[in-house]
This record gives sequence, structure tokens and C-alpha cells, in this order.
Amino acid sequence: MKIVVCIKQVPATNEAKIDPETKRIIREGLNSILNPFDTYAIEEGVRIREKFGGEVIAISMGPEKAIEVLREALSLGVDKAILLSDKEFAGSDTWATSYALAKAIEKIGDVDLVICGKQAIDGDTAQVGPGIAAHLGWVQATYVMKVEDIQDGSIKVRRMREDGYDICEMNFPAVITVLKDINTPRIPSLKRRLAARQAQIPVWKPADIGADTDKIGLDGSPTRVVKTAPPPAKKNVAKRIEGTPKECAEALVRELRMRSII
Amino acid sequence: MILTSVTDRSKYSNVWVVAEFLSDKIQPVTYELVGAARKLADKRSSKVWVVAMGSGISQQVGSLFAYGADKVIVVDDSRLSGFIDELEADVLARLIGKYNPEIVLYAATARGRALAPRVAVITNCGLTADCTGLDIDPENGDLLQTRPAFGGNIMATIRSSNHRPQMATVRPRVMRALEPDPDRTGEVIHETVEMSDMLKIKRIIDVFHSDETTVNLGDAEIIISGGRGMKGPEGFELLRKFAAKVGGAVGASRAAVDAGWIPYSHQVGQTGQTVQTKVYIACGISGQIQHLVGMQSCDFIIAIDKNPDTPMMQLADIAIVGDVFEIIPEIMNELSKM
Amino acid sequence: MLHHIKNKVYHIEILPPKQDSQKLEADLELFAQKYNRVMESGYCACITDNAMGHLSFQGTEMIEELGLEVRPEQVMIHLNTFHTLEDLHNILDTCKSKGIKYLLVVSGDGSERLPKLQPSDVGAEGKVESVTSVELLKYIESKYPGTFTMGVAFNPYEPPEHEFEKLKRKLDAGASFIITQPIIEKNKIVDELLEKYPDIPVIVEAWMSRKLHLLSEAVGYEIPENTQYDPIETLKSIHKLYPQCGVYLALLGFKTQYHLIKDIWV
Repeated sequence: MKIVVCIKQVPATNEAKIDPETKRIIREGLNSILNPFDTYAIEEGVRIREKFGGEVIAISMGPEKAIEVLREALSLGVDKAILLSDKEFAGSDTWATSYALAKAIEKIGDVDLVICGKQAIDGDTAQVGPGIAAHLGWVQATYVMKVEDIQDGSIKVRRMREDGYDICEMNFPAVITVLKDINTPRIPSLKRRLAARQAQIPVWKPADIGADTDKIGLDGSPTRVVKTAPPPAKKNVAKRIEGTPKECAEALVRELRMRSII
Repeated sequence: MILTSVTDRSKYSNVWVVAEFLSDKIQPVTYELVGAARKLADKRSSKVWVVAMGSGISQQVGSLFAYGADKVIVVDDSRLSGFIDELEADVLARLIGKYNPEIVLYAATARGRALAPRVAVITNCGLTADCTGLDIDPENGDLLQTRPAFGGNIMATIRSSNHRPQMATVRPRVMRALEPDPDRTGEVIHETVEMSDMLKIKRIIDVFHSDETTVNLGDAEIIISGGRGMKGPEGFELLRKFAAKVGGAVGASRAAVDAGWIPYSHQVGQTGQTVQTKVYIACGISGQIQHLVGMQSCDFIIAIDKNPDTPMMQLADIAIVGDVFEIIPEIMNELSKM
Repeated sequence: MLHHIKNKVYHIEILPPKQDSQKLEADLELFAQKYNRVMESGYCACITDNAMGHLSFQGTEMIEELGLEVRPEQVMIHLNTFHTLEDLHNILDTCKSKGIKYLLVVSGDGSERLPKLQPSDVGAEGKVESVTSVELLKYIESKYPGTFTMGVAFNPYEPPEHEFEKLKRKLDAGASFIITQPIIEKNKIVDELLEKYPDIPVIVEAWMSRKLHLLSEAVGYEIPENTQYDPIETLKSIHKLYPQCGVYLALLGFKTQYHLIKDIWV
């Protein structure tokens, strides 16, 4: 089995600062972390390898600093890590990002399974996983809460639905995106962490993956952020209740009665 | 498609809604999307089309006209019974190529969020996820798509000027459906599935309906929700008792879920569920914007917190200043007297 | 633990490096220095377990990886409920093989990334909704009978009735010493605790940071940020107020304060 896990570095805090030119988030100066959902993707990849053999490769697209999340992936048990980083990639939306990642996966070659986290916490779009599958022309299963089985070149997964779940079986090669329910990610040991800090991580540029430069970066992105604004203001002024707990409770129940809520 | 000229742009018209089905039953979010599409189509002087894909669904599409649709494309095929992403994406991409809609809206559900990005790549279109606002730029007719970004701390407006159709997903209970007009009628077009060998490489083996996998906060009338101020799992025990007393469901902020006090399935907010209940009682929730976007359209919001100045206490219709651990038992007491 | 108090052995908290440390090698070096210094002084090193929910390395792997010497009387490991069962056993097995006998068993602070012990992990399914220090104590005692001397936390700032009830359950579950939240003056609830349990060793925590406002959340009321606070003087007064108690030093400055505590406890 050859497994690729796609991961992303995201800002750790919720303090948004926006570049007035590009209208995109200024990532410099913010603490960055591995996208929490991707930890589950890495863990699942590593578990599949531990059970069925093969190798797990983590890839990420981002600035050079994103090498940190690849080291994190190495400390969590992946075998290899590759960074896609170049100014030509900068400003990519989900369409262009999934294109670049798909090209990298083609370049890696002979990949059976791609695993992504459900979504990244900075954009919350959940579009890159299915986008990769579409660019590669592979089958996909999203919102996977359990890998039921892998055999004879196929994978059987449990997919979350709003009213329960289904069991879906697909032939390789395939892309899955995983939910937090799927596993409990391990905590890296000090030993692995120290080894990951020494690892060599190759950096690939557009030419290395044969990417069409019209399809990457800001120019290759169909969407543009044209404006950012603070969230809408509060709708009204609250009626405030103060006093002893008993007084508060009485006042609340009175209010609810007046409004026929109870 | 990438637009290369102005005449290209004029080739595309009408606002499409991809109907949401679950076990071949049409879902209310479809009507909400039709309501949003209606407003956009009126501004563009165009029509609302709905694409309904599923198995044995033909009888259900009539109601769509009452809610504002002008035309419904029905693709009724037993192979569309389960959700085969690739099959539905292929059907949609083909229909888009045939009819050239200007805008396509999807439900931001498990199915819609899997389907839309696939179609966007195949058709080379921009896609914006989880829009909370949709409008038309009066100057050039572009779709202006507003969505919370970066954990809900900012609202970003996004457009896709050079590509058609423009695509967006919208979460359930974000838009409002129009009052149905039973006298409205429209046209039904039937289309077929062509990509037939797909089922050889992907199959739905089984479907399980379960109440346990998701706590459906959307169905509750009252939600009692807790945050960091509940201090631990024991705090949520108190909320469970409170919820049981008023017949409500228990919700939680991301902070409480992340702390391991209550499972993720209870999370309200941008990365949890969006709710629109009659009453929402926020207990010890400061009101990070990521939480607020998931509950601010509830009809009546009550907040209980020691700190009177939190965003949640500002947002609430009634803000009770005090210790949740003292006030909730008193409220339960008061309710017992009734 | 009583002999720690009798012999005036300070309990000194040291924090292992965080998992996301940018300067891990330097942090490891510093940890080893602090640990060795505590050993040399004859004090007891208390190593935290993902303090405040921050992902950090475990005391046991620090000791193993850095080859630190374990003197059984001088090492205490914090252990909370945010572990997988497998990791919990790894920690306990390492403690056992290294001769670490003192554990401070607490419910602990979680975070998104930290796994949580489930009731089914510790044989408490159907009994509790979530695993607390009580279940963890019982579980450790059942799997490693007689191996460890376990302490628990006591918070004098929580509603006392509830806190004393919890403490009773912790003691019933096998705890044999108590460490309090930081106190900075005479505390009525601590007095009550000493009166209630005269035979159980109580170690009060002394706050060694000058930043007293950081304690706001623990004590449940707002301490202004510019509050003047002298940790060393406070420590002296705590010895006077509570001569029968041991003292646990949190946030001790190894450069600025360590040399000052030597002759305080007399």
C-alpha cells in the first residue's frame, strides 16, 4: 500500500489579520499548527500501514515554514514528507490547491490511497479532498468515520450522513476525507520527535510536479476574495437580570411566561 | 468554464438549486435554497431551476414550484439511490454543460459538500463553501458570496468573475424558505444517467439510520448549551438535568468539546451544527464568533454568565448575570412549582 | 509522605518541554539541569502531566531519554485522566521499573488533542459518564496493588461541601496524601481540612511567581494585574501559619529564587 496524507499548516489563533492587497489572511507572525483534522488523517494512514504494510507519505503545500507540520507528521509516524512551496503557488484557492496536490500525487506515483482531514480550520471549506479526487479522476468517500476493511485493491468505509451512515466500497486508487470519530491520534514520543527534527524534507516547485502555471496560485484560482469585514453586529441590547440566584430564576421564569415560551 | 469574452458571459443564465435528498426524501434545505435562488433570479431577471437526482423521487418535485422554482430537471434512476459522488457529479456536469446556468447552489450537507467541489473541478468553476449571504453585484451581475472565514472572525465576500457558472454551498437553516404558494406551477424536464460503469468501482453496501451518530440539535425546540464556564463534565451533567426538565437538547461550545467534557456531536457553531431553535440558553459560553454564527438566528436567546460583558451576554435577549451552578438549580426549582 | 514534611523536603514542580517547542534540545538540557539540582538539594521533583492541557513530554520519557537518575524518595509524577489506556500503562510500567513510587493523581486539564480515558478503559462503564481522579486511583490500585503512594488535589476555592465530598471519595479510592491549590494567606477551608484529616499528610502549594493575577482563575475572583506580591515572604508566612504542612512550590524561579529558599524552612 502506498498512502499519501495531505496536510495543511493553519494559524493557531483566531486573531484574524487581513492583507489589504490580497484580502487574504496574513500568516506571518501568527503561531501556526498542523490543522487538527489532519492529525486524524495521519493517524489513519499510519494505522493502515501498520496493519497492511507499505508506506505513508505526507505532503503539504504552503510557505517554507509549513515544513514544521511535515516534521509533526514524521513524529506522528509517517515515513516520508514532501513540501510544495514556491511563490507561484501562493494565493491558490481550493481549486488550484487541489490541482497542485493532485499533480504531486501523480508525481509520487503508484499511490493507492489519499487521506485528507475533513476540512481545514482556517477556511472550513472541505473542498480540497474531493477536488484532489476530481483532478485525479479517482473515486472519493468523504466524512469517513471508520475504515471497515481493506482487501484485494479495495477499501470499505463508513461514511457519515445526516441521518446515520452508509457503508461504501471503492476500488483503489481512491481519496478519503476523515472525521475526528475515526481514531484517537497518538501523542508523539520524545524519541520520534527528536528524529523528525533531523529529517531531510524535499521541497517541490511547480516544474517538479509538471504543474501548469495557469492553474496554480492567485491567477489559477477561479475565486477571488474581494472584501473582508467584521462579522455583523449584535442584533439588539440584552435585557439584563441581576440579583440573587433565586431572584434571577424568578425573573427569568416570569419573562418566559410573558412571552408564552413556557 | 473560463470566460474569455463578454459574449461568453451572456451565454449563461438562470439560478440552479441542486435538490437535497436523504434516503430519497427531499430535505427542507432544498426549499431554503430555492428561496435564496428566487431572490437572486429576480435580480437577474432569470429563472429558478432545481435539479433533482435520486431514485423514485419524481412524485416529490411538485412542491418545489410552490416554494419558488420555475423549472425542475428530474433525474430519476435507481442507480442514484445511494450517494455515488462520481455518478451525481457526472450527471450535474453534463447538465451544466447542456443548459449553461449562471449560478448553482448546493446544500452544505455531507452530500452537497462532497458533490460540489467535484463538479467545480470538472466544470472548471469557482466554488464558495458555507455562504451566509448571497447577493448580486448591481454593476456587473456577479454573484457576491459572503461567508465566515478564519473561525468566523471575519466575513469574506468572494466572487468568481471570470468563470461560469458561479457555485456556492449553503448550510441548512441559514436561508429562509418562502411561504409556499400552492397555485404556482412550472415545467418538469426529465434527464438520464449516462456514466454507467461507475458502479463497478464504487458501491453502497448498506445504509444505517441511527439517532446515535448525530445528536440532531436541529429538531429540538430548546437547546441548553454549555461552554468553558461549565468547568468540566460534571457541569454538563447539570445541563442534562436542566434539558430533561424543559424537554430540550444539550449543546456545547467548541471549547467544551475540545476539553473533552462532551462529545463533538453536541457542538454548535461553525465547525459544529447550525441551529435555529425557539429558545437557546447559553450557560457559561463567552460567545466566540465561531459559536455565534451557529446559533444567532435562534428566536430567543438567554445567556447565563458571571461576566456581564461577553459577546454572548451582549447578543442575548435576556442576559442573567451570575453563577450558572447556582442559577440553574434555582430555575429548575421555579419550573417545578408550575 | 509524612517524613517529607518532617525532614522539610520541598516539593518542586518542574514542567517537561512542550511538544511544539522550537528549541527542544535546549529545553531538554534545561529540564535535566533543574531535575539534577532538585536531586542534589534533597528535595522532591514533581513532574507535571500536560499541565494546563498543553501537549508536553511525559516525565517518564524525559527520565528515560535523558538518562536521569531516579531517587525513589525524590520523584513525584503527576498523572491525569487525559491518556489512552495504552499510554497510561506505559507510564505506570516505566514508573514501576524505574522505582518511581509517588504519583499525584488528578483529573487534569484536557485539550482538543489529548485523548481522554473512557469509563470502559478503567472498568467504570455504566458507573460514571466520565473518568475522574477517583476512577483513575481505583484503577491504578487494582492493576498495581501496593506499588504506588498516591496523592490527590484539594481546591479550597471550590464550594467546600462539594470539595470535601470529592476528597472523601478520593481518599476512599486509595489516596494517602493531599496537595492543595496555591494559598497566599491563612485559609479557612485549609484549616478545616487539617482539622478533619489530622493524620493525612497535607502539602500546601505556594505560588512562587510574582504575577499573582495568574491565580485569578484558580481562586475564582479577579486579582488585578499590578498587584504587588512577594513570593519569598509569602512562603515564610506559610511556614509559620502551617508548620504541620509540607510545601509544594509552583513556578519556582531556578535562577532568581532557588538559592533563597534554602534556609527558609527551619
